[in-house]
Amino acid sequence: MVPVLKFGDVLVASILAALSDEDLDELRCEVVESVGRFRARGVIIDVTALDVLDSFATRTLRGIAHAAQLRGADTIVVGIQPDVAVAMVQLGLGLEDITTALDVEDGMTLLDERRRSRHGS
Amino acid sequence: MEPARHATEQTLMRELGLDTQNIDRRKRHFTFGPDDVVKLVALRPIVAAHAAELVDVFFDQLVAIDEAKTLLSNHELTDRARTMKREHLLAMVGGTYDASYVEQRLRLGLLYARAGLDTRVFLGAFQALVRSVGVRVMREGGAEAFDRFTSFEKLAFFDVSIILDVLVYERERTIRQQQEAIRELSTPVLQLRNRLLLLPIIGVIDTHRAQLITDGLLRSIRANRARVAVMDVTGVATIDSKVAHHLLQTVSAARLMGAHVIVTGLSSDVAQSLVAIGLDVGRFNTVGDLQGGLEEAERILGFEIVQRQGDHGVRVG
Repeated sequence: MVPVLKFGDVLVASILAALSDEDLDELRCEVVESVGRFRARGVIIDVTALDVLDSFATRTLRGIAHAAQLRGADTIVVGIQPDVAVAMVQLGLGLEDITTALDVEDGMTLLDERRRSRHGS
Repeated sequence: MEPARHATEQTLMRELGLDTQNIDRRKRHFTFGPDDVVKLVALRPIVAAHAAELVDVFFDQLVAIDEAKTLLSNHELTDRARTMKREHLLAMVGGTYDASYVEQRLRLGLLYARAGLDTRVFLGAFQALVRSVGVRVMREGGAEAFDRFTSFEKLAFFDVSIILDVLVYERERTIRQQQEAIRELSTPVLQLRNRLLLLPIIGVIDTHRAQLITDGLLRSIRANRARVAVMDVTGVATIDSKVAHHLLQTVSAARLMGAHVIVTGLSSDVAQSLVAIGLDVGRFNTVGDLQGGLEEAERILGFEIVQRQGDHGVRVG
């Protein structure tokens, strides 16, 4: 199970161990549902602990991002490891339209910047 | 010294794939058969009688050529080469053309290679030698002179094929060593500012080095918590499609880790060849030169470089 923590208006889902496809599905429902419940403006999904991101996981991440977007929250995927990144690129599993960041802290900063630039404009 | 040298030739024979089978095959290329051996043995008296003179022909030819000066300026080397050439000549009419004969050719080839003897120069001198043998044989060889000389010529070409292989192999070895040296020039990843990395790439990128670059960059991004990396390829003369593809993968992988990669210094040749390859250049964030790339990186990171008023000069003391 993946805990979804709330920091202000940001939700942080830290994946701590390899997930089965069912777990991923469950995570998607949970996150998308929580965005509405907590009126979140940002979602951070932390995959630091994962050694592998396969096509299903990539698709799920993309699904979360798009669905959260529709409910008014930006999604940032953080903590992709170097080896995982190389493997994903070689397998052609991109996250083209999804923002990534180095770790949770950076993800937070990025969300802050976005909010500020939106308010500024 | 002797056993070590012997070992070198043994290794070289292995590396060139010169086993008994290969030697037999090589002889077949020159249609060199048992009757040729008989004819060559028949030449022995003539060649032995004129051996010294024939060796002189070979080296006189070398003396006349500038390129051979390295070999000839070294007296010890020349003496050894002379002795070996004489042995070679006598072995050519000796009747046994087996692995040890080939090894003797290799030894001579190695000597030429170390002396930096050019293949053209060698071929010229060797041709002169063969011609002189021909003249001798025609003059004194009797009825079968032409047939016998033909056999000699076959063997001469067989020898040349081996010596050329050695010369080429040794030259390639130099190239391999240089490539190795270039590869070993590390590709440093430098932290230029907080969260900004610089990756200057100089020299030839092949697939192996591209791999090292990818690894180094991604690890440094994690270790230095970088958000922007500037990859400067000013010092790279050519990028082929495989390497370009690899660099693109690096950029994408860095992207997945949340870092921007800015590529700078693509020369016009490289840029044109990338376009010719049909690469999706849009995926590269490129800036003309390193300075521009760093400015772009600073902009992304929110740095602003301001020059203080009235402080343009270098202070001395």
